[in-house]
Amino acid sequence: MTAIDLQQAAPTARGGRISGHRILFHVTAVLVAAIFLVPLIWVTLASFRPTAVSMQPPIPPWPGDNATFENYIRLENFGQSILHYTANSAIVAIGTAALTVAVALLAGYGFSRFRFPFKPLAFILILSTIMIPFQSILTPLFLLLANLGLQNSLFGLILVYTTLQLPFSVFMMKNAFDSVPQEIEEAARIDGIKGMRLLWQVMVPLVLPGMVTSGLFAFLNAWNEFLAALVLLSDQDKFTLPVLMTAVRSGRYGAIDWGAVQAGVTVMMIPCLILFLILQRSYIRGLTAGAVK
Amino acid sequence: MALQDIGNRQTAGVTLRRLHKSFGAVEVLKDISLTIEPGEFVVFVGPSGCGKSTLLRLIAGLEEVSAGDVFIGDTDVTEKDPSDRGIAMVFQTYALYPHLSVAQNMGFGLKAAGRPKPEIAQKVNDAAAVLQLTDYLDRKPGQLSGGQRQRVAIGRAIVRNPDVFLFDEPLSNLDAELRVGMRLEIARLHRELGITMIYVTHDQTEAMTLADKIVVLRAGRVEQVGAPADLYEDPDNMFVAGFIGSPAMNFFPAMMGNGGQIELGGSRIPAPVLSNPPAPGTPLTLGLRPERYQIRTDGPAPHGLTFQVEFTEYLGSSSYCYGTIGDGLACTLELPNGFRPRRHDVISLGLDSQNMRIFDQSGLRIR
Repeated sequence: MTAIDLQQAAPTARGGRISGHRILFHVTAVLVAAIFLVPLIWVTLASFRPTAVSMQPPIPPWPGDNATFENYIRLENFGQSILHYTANSAIVAIGTAALTVAVALLAGYGFSRFRFPFKPLAFILILSTIMIPFQSILTPLFLLLANLGLQNSLFGLILVYTTLQLPFSVFMMKNAFDSVPQEIEEAARIDGIKGMRLLWQVMVPLVLPGMVTSGLFAFLNAWNEFLAALVLLSDQDKFTLPVLMTAVRSGRYGAIDWGAVQAGVTVMMIPCLILFLILQRSYIRGLTAGAVK
Repeated sequence: MALQDIGNRQTAGVTLRRLHKSFGAVEVLKDISLTIEPGEFVVFVGPSGCGKSTLLRLIAGLEEVSAGDVFIGDTDVTEKDPSDRGIAMVFQTYALYPHLSVAQNMGFGLKAAGRPKPEIAQKVNDAAAVLQLTDYLDRKPGQLSGGQRQRVAIGRAIVRNPDVFLFDEPLSNLDAELRVGMRLEIARLHRELGITMIYVTHDQTEAMTLADKIVVLRAGRVEQVGAPADLYEDPDNMFVAGFIGSPAMNFFPAMMGNGGQIELGGSRIPAPVLSNPPAPGTPLTLGLRPERYQIRTDGPAPHGLTFQVEFTEYLGSSSYCYGTIGDGLACTLELPNGFRPRRHDVISLGLDSQNMRIFDQSGLRIR
């Protein structure tokens, strides 16, 4: 047996190994991506088609054949301008996100760092409200808001959405605070920072990914929420976009105006996409925070 | 820029008076009284869970005292906030603010105290120069190595201009080589700043090399306080004797014999001079440091022991030899350079009675 010659003229060239696994992996990934993307593409393409063909399968005809903005024009001419309803939705979604983050920040900090009686019980109670389907409490919620004079108001809707969003957000923020080492807080105490300043100057920058994540969730849920908005809002000029969709849907003689709906859905997607693209780095960091040291 | 100019402040001593600390029903510190002189370097050392870090945190004010008093200088600080105690602390995990640059980290305390910007910049630059961090002032902690991060943490402490410097296992997260370097750095800082330093470690080498005074803790009690050499040469009990020194002291079960002799594994060896010798027949423990013996080449020693080699660890300048004496009692010896016995070799040992330490059955030293 001969020993292996360690001083060969040139090292053996090693190409990348193309295995069946890798091909299978890519094919699967493309298929999964397609499953998610096709409905979005369908909606977007259909929104540019004349009403007559808007219900046909998406491909063909391409909208290029007879592309039209008439769906968007109809959407714009429905009630107030589409910008007005977008503003309604934006007020509700941004308000919900801001209020949720503010409350969840304080609650998460409290649950993570302070000792108080019945803390585990209180936390479990908050979490357990996730298990209540909110549709089942819609009637009492409506009555409650009516008594407070908050029915048919965007602020009332913000309060409802925030309440629904809080359990998850408090959980999220508690985890975010738990993953901040105790020593950083102690170092800050030695540096003479305490109370709200400690929270604001030291802790908030460290839990920012968690805040972004819970804010984003609150925003998207509020932006898309339909049932509570439908029940609580009665004036047409208070409608949010999802409620508007049901209103524009009804065309002449009981027909359904799919074109306008698809135009509306396309408009609704845009802010979500932009927001998500801007914040996705923080969002992913927030979701995995504390998962590994 | 000399270090003294940064630390131009009267350093203070620390006095602990009858300190107790309980977490719920668990008493982690029991009646600790201790005086630390101004400018002293004191090391708290002990095994995990002995309460050394808790004691440091009580001095820092990060934990509340259950009973007793903490004085820094002449001031009772027991009820004061950490920031009002004139202390600075360096943590094992560095505890830097990850979102701030090195300069902002170091100046954070001064900024929080509302000091003018030029003063902060001046102090941060001075401390950075001392710690060779000037080139890194704009970096974030995440871009620094472990040793650099720990230097930033020390810099943050220096900038606070404290009366007392507290270190909580500052070198534990560093690799062996950096640890030696940082150890020298901390010793230099102490020499040049002249500030009282209290240092917690479980590493007895750090304790021996750095300390003016070592406080050995076990299970929430102070076992012994003294200079490193005093603890090494004159331990109060078996715990201190076994904890201080590496490799650890050998302990052999023995018995007080007649005529000032000790019976050890079938041999009789002369006992050290004891002021209060136990009665013959009393069981006791004989302690012997691994390097305190002579190798006899002139045959079996009249008052010595034979050591049978089992295993040798070569360390370059010396080697550690594990084996047995007498009737199979485990024993470790530190062998001089060049002496390389083989397995099952038998070495004759000569023992000097003044190098023996005698402990009673409860582990207390008999002097």
